[in-house]
Amino acid sequence: MRFDTLVAIALVFIPFSLTSIGGGAAIVAGIQHETVTVHAWVNSREFLDLFAVSRAAPGPGMMLATVIGWKVAGWLGAFVATLALFVPSSLLCYSVFKLTNHHRDKKWHRAMREGLAPVGIGLIIAGVLSLFRLADGGVTAFVIAGLSGVILYFAPRFPVLGVLALGGLAAMLASTLGTWISSL
Amino acid sequence: MISPVPASPPETPRLRSLFFLCFKIGVLSFGGGLSGWLYREFVLSKRWIDEEDFSSSLAISQMLPGANVVNLVICMGEQLRGPVGALACVLGFLVGPFFAVVGLCQLFDALAGYPLLPVISDGVAFAAMGLLIIMCVHGVRRAMRFPPSIITIAVTAILVGIFRFPLIPVACVIAPISVALAWRRI
Repeated sequence: MRFDTLVAIALVFIPFSLTSIGGGAAIVAGIQHETVTVHAWVNSREFLDLFAVSRAAPGPGMMLATVIGWKVAGWLGAFVATLALFVPSSLLCYSVFKLTNHHRDKKWHRAMREGLAPVGIGLIIAGVLSLFRLADGGVTAFVIAGLSGVILYFAPRFPVLGVLALGGLAAMLASTLGTWISSL
Repeated sequence: MISPVPASPPETPRLRSLFFLCFKIGVLSFGGGLSGWLYREFVLSKRWIDEEDFSSSLAISQMLPGANVVNLVICMGEQLRGPVGALACVLGFLVGPFFAVVGLCQLFDALAGYPLLPVISDGVAFAAMGLLIIMCVHGVRRAMRFPPSIITIAVTAILVGIFRFPLIPVACVIAPISVALAWRRI
């Protein structure tokens, strides 16, 4: 694969590594914008498929970058994307942990913790909004996402894989039912 | 929580043990909620880390960029075995999911062409959004204690999610303001 592509992958994901406050969910909107709109590496359909794959696989949701890298430039792309997304944030976390672990009761430490939390949540909500827009799934999307949220909220021990499988099944049933109704 | 454990001297784990424990948690971790699992293994079962250290590591992991769980295993690796320990933990944790996610992607491509596949995939993606939604609900509920946090959440979500402003500059502007507000309140 072209060296340029690998560099481009690294340059897209490194900034996201350092802005993924609150985890991978916070950067879904940004990754979508960069990879679909700016670079056109994948189209909206593919992006949504990759998102689904990254959530159904084990590991952090940030592995979305790995599959995008793989799609664009094979194994090397996957490797570069993974390093680009995990190395900068890991180095930062390592340094901060080492340097601040002794100051965890100080005021500035608390202010930082409490100030960054709502920014992370706002970004996650933005990610959900942009996924809904991408999916364009209408009522089905809202119903499945809502029900999945309700199950996971009230039954935290319910296996996530089960919820994802139920979501796929529900979408299949809704689609079959829709075809059947329109054929009447 | 279990009652205080009998005072068995905590042994320093081998690098190999750290790697394989993180590997196991990594490959078996579907959909998140992993801090609970790490807590069970590192604090309750192996007794390598005490409660307080675990909580403070968790706070740092959450407020810094990066996947929370990855940050958390880095903190625990550093605490137990220094830099090499952190490396062993993070490599062990990520190597399984790396191959699993690409494998799943190949499986998905192999099945492409079945007309129901995009429908099912959409369904899985919608259900996965439920995971994000509950994170939002928990976050908003926490933020209720301090109303300006709700405004921070709303402004961030609207600028990035609705007006599609680029995420990074928005975060760079709003984060310092939000931290300053928290500083004044404390």
